[in-house]
Amino acid sequence: MLTSRRKFLKTAALSGASLVIGFNGVRLLHGAKTSAPFKPNAWIRIDADGIVTLTIGKSEMGQGVRTSLAMLLAEELEADWTHIKLVQASPWPGSDLGTGGSDSIRSSWKPLRQAGAAARQMLATAAAAQWKVDRSSCTASHGAIIHSPSGRSLNYGELVGDAAKLPVPQDPPLKDKRNFKIIGQRTSRIDGHDIVTGKARYGIDVKIPGMLHASLERPPWDGAKVKRMQEDAARAVRGVRSVIKLSRGIAVVADSTWSAIKGRTALAAEWNDPPKDTFDSETHARRLETASRETGFITRSEKAPAGTGDITKTIEATYHYPFYAHAPVETMNCVADVREDHCTLWVPTQAPERLQNRVGELLGIPADKVEVNITLIGGGFGRRLGFDYAVEAAEISRAAKAPVQLLWSRADDMKHGHFQAASVHYLSAGFDAQGQPVAWKHTKAGSFHNISPLDPKEAHDAAWYQDWSWGAYDVPYAFPEIQTAYVTVDLPVKHGPWRAVFAPSSVFAREAFFDEVAQARGADPLAFRLEMLKGADVIKVGSTVDRRRLRRVLEVVRDKSGWGAPIAKGHGRGVACNAYFGHTYIAYVVDVAVDPGNNVRVEQVVAAVDCGLVVNPIGVGVARMHDTPTIEVHIVPSDGPEPFGMGEPPVPPIVPAIVNAVFAATGKRVRSLPIRPEHFRG
Amino acid sequence: MEKTEVTINGAKNVVQVDDDTPLLWILRDTLGLTGTKFGCGVGVCGACMVLANGQAVRSCQIPCSAAAGRNFTTIEGLSPNGSHPCQRAWLEEEVAQCGFCQPGMIMTACALLRENPNPTDELIDKVMSDSVCRCGTYPRMRRAIRRAAEQMRSPKQC
Repeated sequence: MLTSRRKFLKTAALSGASLVIGFNGVRLLHGAKTSAPFKPNAWIRIDADGIVTLTIGKSEMGQGVRTSLAMLLAEELEADWTHIKLVQASPWPGSDLGTGGSDSIRSSWKPLRQAGAAARQMLATAAAAQWKVDRSSCTASHGAIIHSPSGRSLNYGELVGDAAKLPVPQDPPLKDKRNFKIIGQRTSRIDGHDIVTGKARYGIDVKIPGMLHASLERPPWDGAKVKRMQEDAARAVRGVRSVIKLSRGIAVVADSTWSAIKGRTALAAEWNDPPKDTFDSETHARRLETASRETGFITRSEKAPAGTGDITKTIEATYHYPFYAHAPVETMNCVADVREDHCTLWVPTQAPERLQNRVGELLGIPADKVEVNITLIGGGFGRRLGFDYAVEAAEISRAAKAPVQLLWSRADDMKHGHFQAASVHYLSAGFDAQGQPVAWKHTKAGSFHNISPLDPKEAHDAAWYQDWSWGAYDVPYAFPEIQTAYVTVDLPVKHGPWRAVFAPSSVFAREAFFDEVAQARGADPLAFRLEMLKGADVIKVGSTVDRRRLRRVLEVVRDKSGWGAPIAKGHGRGVACNAYFGHTYIAYVVDVAVDPGNNVRVEQVVAAVDCGLVVNPIGVGVARMHDTPTIEVHIVPSDGPEPFGMGEPPVPPIVPAIVNAVFAATGKRVRSLPIRPEHFRG
Repeated sequence: MEKTEVTINGAKNVVQVDDDTPLLWILRDTLGLTGTKFGCGVGVCGACMVLANGQAVRSCQIPCSAAAGRNFTTIEGLSPNGSHPCQRAWLEEEVAQCGFCQPGMIMTACALLRENPNPTDELIDKVMSDSVCRCGTYPRMRRAIRRAAEQMRSPKQC
């Protein structure tokens, strides 16, 4: 999946009195398809005043990526952290700046360090030449090259002119991680001060000269037609410039946000009724449940070895996962300035290149004539991998012949987002005459993303289906017989990636049902997990699962949470774990209180995390939204030499840990989400 | 569309907007003070929180006609350079993730500490639950508010 980046360092150019080193972009979502030719666009730049400027090629939406990527660079560069500046990259032909899949650190880990190391080596070479000493006697530290034998030193700024004339080393030696000074240290967010003083600029805060404001009335269902609307009333609103009918709805364009909102309200658009018997969530849930009984595409099949006991007892359960909205606090927005043959966008996006291509198609101009300025993002969660709002803004700007800011209302966000698709999971387990579990079956009925067309040329093989069923096919437990499958169900509603993509539903069903297996076995759910993680230490099932790392996080939460200690009536303690894509390992122990009305309160969460090497410990935490419990996070020292992501992995195992705790408190299973009294099953 | 005088961060501004224009949009569109955020427009998320004579209020719910003659403080006017104890505590506790809701949260916390220099955890939870952080920075905010309260009670550090 990773793009080859052997030739990542291609050029060093003298740019004024600056040393500029380019490196090529790195892999993002679903893998770059080709190994694009190098186009320097992301740089390290060191100016004569010693200021280091790093262009960040990932979108910042709260994961702290602007800080952690800068840390990687500064570490190898031996830069003075207080002399770092950041600029945000814009797409260039062949770039891949998309942000998602908790992949930014993992994919940037090597190339950014190599870029820093190359610059450090060139600066050392330049200093050694000035001093007429051997380069190996020079060291770099805090933005300077030092020659210890003679006590001389030169700041980077003094060396950039000479360094820039040197060839770029293609394979510079990287620092041993024992010598890291920045990586692994708690490092404050570079954007922190701007955030607490209101200076941080998100998409919604962009202002450009002559900018108008738009609000868009969208059809409530695909193909809906306007029955009636009060265009004149909308135009009569003070500040409204125009009412424009577009393929995507009716835009009200005004001098201010408030005038646009008022104009849209005055429009009072009424739409025709949808055809009868069209989509509704309950019917869809029934279709999913029926489909979950089909064979589907087998994503993993392991037959029981000879000598395994015959199945004498089977338990089964059906788990329902609902639709979810992203609901970031910053609603969708985009400033578009469409001119004759080019277009400029300011947009909070996780998918700048796909957005650029789509807007280029809309306007009939080459993609490189669409300039995309990526702003800070007020919450992503996968929503800004869609680019509908930017396409709308471009269409409105073209029609209005002016730069326009389109702002979605909160109601727009809830009605017209792309949801996490609902799914239904049918699971069963077989036990032999001794009560030992010998078989595991998990069939997921769900839907692929439809916010962008699937690549028809892509082979629909096991790997492809596995991609849609993380958390299901990679069940880590050592059942002698395992069968996992995926059944595709059409879903006309707009749906797409949501935080942790497909894992939350599958891990919810898997970990909750595993508790049912433990219950049937009469075993302690945590001890039983450890028991069922015996056997081969590493299993390769599409992704690679290291059971040792999963066992270790389980042991840590067991020891830190007081697992097994008595717990008050009406309270319960539950456990769940997951190996996210084989990279990040997490276990939770959750304490809940359940009142007589079956209302659940999460009181405490103890988490153990092994995400490989931790770049910035401040970035590792577990986010919950409401009625926040006490949260304890234990970072488990990892054998992993490289860092993995921490944006998405915490999400999937939290819900099953909670429902397992509810069972411990009440003896009732929750097999449908959200956790509500009516979903308690005795 | 009358001329209305609104006082923001100690400065008098004469604005000419419709009477029903929410203070939020006067701040953001008319005065260019974009630190106050739009999140819902219906008074439930708290992203637009500002201080009105020291009390936390949702600027999306205050029409221009009701803003006249009152003194408002926005995140930009809280301190000259981020030195308010709440802002400092927010940085020291590394509260922010995406940061979008944080100006509103900080303003809410400031009003809370002004009324209650030593709030209980229950009161912190109650007051701060009026606002929404989608990243889930609640535990860090609790710690920051306790820290700011300590700093404000200790004159040496203030």
